[in-house]
Amino acid sequence: MIEPAIKTDELTKRYRRATALSDCSITVPQGRISALVGPNGAGKSTLLRLLTGLARPTGGSVLVLGSAPRQDPGFLAGIGYLAQDVPLYRRLSAEDHIRAGARLNQGWDDASARTRLRQLGIPLDRAVGTLSGGQRAQVGLSLALAKRPRLLLLDEPVAALDPLARRHFLATLATAMAEAEGSLTVVLSSHLVADLERVCDHLILLAASRVQLCGDIDELLAEHTVLVGPRKDTTALERAHTVVRATRTARQSTLVIRRGGPVIDPAYQAGDISLEELVLAYMGAAAPAAYAHLSTVGEEQ
Amino acid sequence: MTWLVWRQYRISAAVSAALLAAFAVLVVITGLRMAAQFHAAFGACLPAGSCRFPVDDVSLGGGPMGFLVEFTLAVPALGGMFAGAPLVAREIETGTGQFIWTQNITRRRWLAVKVGWLLLAAVAWGGAVTALVTWWSGPKNAAYLNAFAPGTFDVQGIMPIAYSLFAMALGIAAGTLIRRVLPALAVTLGGYFAVRLIIMGWVRQHYMTPVTTTFSIAANYLPKGAFWLLDQGFRGPSGPLPLAPGNAAMVVGNGFPASDVPAACVTHGPLGGTQFGQATIACLGRHGYTQYLTYQPAARYWPFQFIEAGIFVVLAAGLIALTFAVINRRDA
Repeated sequence: MIEPAIKTDELTKRYRRATALSDCSITVPQGRISALVGPNGAGKSTLLRLLTGLARPTGGSVLVLGSAPRQDPGFLAGIGYLAQDVPLYRRLSAEDHIRAGARLNQGWDDASARTRLRQLGIPLDRAVGTLSGGQRAQVGLSLALAKRPRLLLLDEPVAALDPLARRHFLATLATAMAEAEGSLTVVLSSHLVADLERVCDHLILLAASRVQLCGDIDELLAEHTVLVGPRKDTTALERAHTVVRATRTARQSTLVIRRGGPVIDPAYQAGDISLEELVLAYMGAAAPAAYAHLSTVGEEQ
Repeated sequence: MTWLVWRQYRISAAVSAALLAAFAVLVVITGLRMAAQFHAAFGACLPAGSCRFPVDDVSLGGGPMGFLVEFTLAVPALGGMFAGAPLVAREIETGTGQFIWTQNITRRRWLAVKVGWLLLAAVAWGGAVTALVTWWSGPKNAAYLNAFAPGTFDVQGIMPIAYSLFAMALGIAAGTLIRRVLPALAVTLGGYFAVRLIIMGWVRQHYMTPVTTTFSIAANYLPKGAFWLLDQGFRGPSGPLPLAPGNAAMVVGNGFPASDVPAACVTHGPLGGTQFGQATIACLGRHGYTQYLTYQPAARYWPFQFIEAGIFVVLAAGLIALTFAVINRRDA
């Protein structure tokens, strides 16, 4: 059996004041490109930092490429990490970063990094602090890829980019995935699933520092159904299915359910669910009560 | 890794070298002038060995250059503040630590290379400054015999090298523990001068047991060379008499507490003023009064330099060990 790229078990990270991640158990198989989605503050960055070994867990276990993250060249060689806001040395150029990378990493792919940046028209000799956000993100991604990692972790890489730069970034990533032929696993985080829908085939949904969903996107979509029907008691329905989220207006209910079998109640009209609806349903269910009205607008008391 | 260190610090290195070069020019010009001045004043008596040092002439090596040279006691702190403190703190503050510490190099190895080069730079920086200052101070030291004085001992010999190592290590440790550049910089500055002051004011004089010389109340005695006077006074039949305040000179009679003059000697002359008559002094001698000096002899200059340098090198080593212990323990 091929070991998963990531396997965590009840992974927990507590800071002095708050719990950033609670009992997080996820598995990401190798060769997948996984979207790590959740609202701001859900624990996405914390999870990625725990996977790199930059942060250490307070509880639970984590295996990345079969070993616990640690300060050792064998582990570090396997991972590529692009932190939020692309922290690079602002006064150094892309060229300097590439040269530094070549000296710090064994299997460094110097040519690919240079070629990619040249194709994108990004100047190698200018201080990265003077580049645009999109260019800097591309430099960061190229550096992470040049390491030839087996697991690439990208924290909100497209959040600060305009739509065109976002598309270029994801295209670069998709090309790299294709070239790696299954030997590369990617996890990229975003607070907007729409950013990632086109490139990802796996989903990890975090909300309120807990895992809400984790799995293959196609399977997740197939397991869930949107039911639209009259407003009525759902006890019978809940016996067979899991109601993730119910939104009710005066006459009508919209239910997102995880199916436990075929839906036989003819009162409901069943429909496929989009990834965005699925994510919103789970995020809404996990939201604190104070925000509940935001996703149930129009509900009669 | 060494390439990256050079790439990141080459501007700082160039600026330091330029400052050092400018300082060297000043030192050489004023130093040659001072040497000429010294030879003009003492060229005649030096071969005969008849010069009376220390001289009271304060024009030698004074002025703005004298200030600048004394100010070099802050030089070691600069390295610790501007190179040591940001070493880890800036990586954390700007987030670049997340880039560099996920390359295929462990944090400890990264730290070892950086710390190694910075400590080497500290030695070079302190060494260059002290070489210039020590050379420049030659005539001044000879004329004033004050090698142990604060502000002289601390800027010459090997002290600036040891202080530079300590300040650099302090900056690195502070930056690693505090993780923010400005607070770490302030702690480095404060900590450096606090430790220096404590050692200078309360510890240095105890490195070796001082020598106490007791001699006749009628005699004038001074130890040879640039000794370090710690205490002086009179000793009566029942023990030492504290020196009356405000009188520190060696001339017999000065500072002898009038209330301690035995009745038998009072008749020998007036007690007003600060000088006793010869008859009074002779009388005090007959009644068992002597003088004493407690001091560190001039020959202990280098032993003292090495002892204090040793203390600061050990402190630096402790701080570096602490940094290595902490770098992996905290989240980056």
